[in-house]
Amino acid sequence: MVKRILAIVFILIIGFWMAKALDQIPFGQDRMLVGKYYLEHVTEDTGAINAVTAVVVNYRGFDTLGEVTVLFIASTGVAALLWRKKRKRTAKTEGSIVLTTGARLLLPFIMLFGAYIFIHGHLTPGGGFPGGATIATAFLFFYLAFTVYEIDHKIFEPLEGFAGLGYVTVGLIGLAIGGYFLFDWIWQTWGIGRENVGRLLSAGFIPIIYTLIGIKVGTELTGIVDNMIKEPEEGG
Amino acid sequence: MSIASLIGQVLVLIGAFFYVVSALGLIRMPDVYNRMQTATKSATLGSLGVIIGAGIWAIGEVGSYSWIPKTLVIAIFLLLTNPISAHALIRAAYRSGVPLWEGSVVDKYKEAEKSLERVEGIKGNLEEALEEGEKDE
Repeated sequence: MVKRILAIVFILIIGFWMAKALDQIPFGQDRMLVGKYYLEHVTEDTGAINAVTAVVVNYRGFDTLGEVTVLFIASTGVAALLWRKKRKRTAKTEGSIVLTTGARLLLPFIMLFGAYIFIHGHLTPGGGFPGGATIATAFLFFYLAFTVYEIDHKIFEPLEGFAGLGYVTVGLIGLAIGGYFLFDWIWQTWGIGRENVGRLLSAGFIPIIYTLIGIKVGTELTGIVDNMIKEPEEGG
Repeated sequence: MSIASLIGQVLVLIGAFFYVVSALGLIRMPDVYNRMQTATKSATLGSLGVIIGAGIWAIGEVGSYSWIPKTLVIAIFLLLTNPISAHALIRAAYRSGVPLWEGSVVDKYKEAEKSLERVEGIKGNLEEALEEGEKDE
């Protein structure tokens, strides 16, 4: 009881302190320094309509590369922690027929929607990470509905690696053409899609990179689910 | 105000009403199964009303027809997925032994499971008897 009261008092003090600090920042006023540049120059610099994805992929592409690396490390870490030679699914009971039929019917739609999200990253909200997570959701649905379903590891893990490799390759081509890593060579050097800004074929390498990230995140999260849902066999 | 935005507004109003009814049902109903019943049915209907109503409202208000296909896709997706999730939730609740309301009269699912068990038992006995008979021969 004393512990709980102490914890509450402590949290209240921290909260008061943070509120005091945030009090100095006026809400709803224009305090943008860098943000203004992004908003005003995003279309001519990158060709993207969605400023967030332009910042994430183009202006600050290094962060995204780091995030992809973090996800890759998480996936590899889970695989390394749970590594056993013989592992099987733990599910004992098949999902009901409504669930399995629903999963079979909905899988293509969920995949299509995920692909839509990451292909249209430069036009609509979203991008590679939400799209990849949506695709992983479709596979999670299959894992939960069927007792025996398992992804094809021979396709999934190489696909994950090659998608990451593709991202770095796009960056390295930028290094060769424009002089620095992750230089947007398609937009700035070749100028492809300059006349149809706001349509699908525009925005330089953002759709390409987001397609790669979407594939990578989708396969990675599916791999994590696959690793965590299995248990070692008896005596395995 | 055009006729399209009037229809849209009425649909959104109906949807919002069903949302309120479903929230009331969550408080009012006695057990998990009844609560799920009200929550899924009226919330699905309410969502359909609000979503499609917003699409039709946009025709009258903004003059844009591009809302309608999007809202229709969302509505159909919701219509397909909501019952499946409700079914899975209810089934999981029953399997994990959530009791029915004390006022419930029949539990056919339990009876069916019991009779299935009995059939399995009889089958097992028959097979044993058959095996013994074969041994005797």
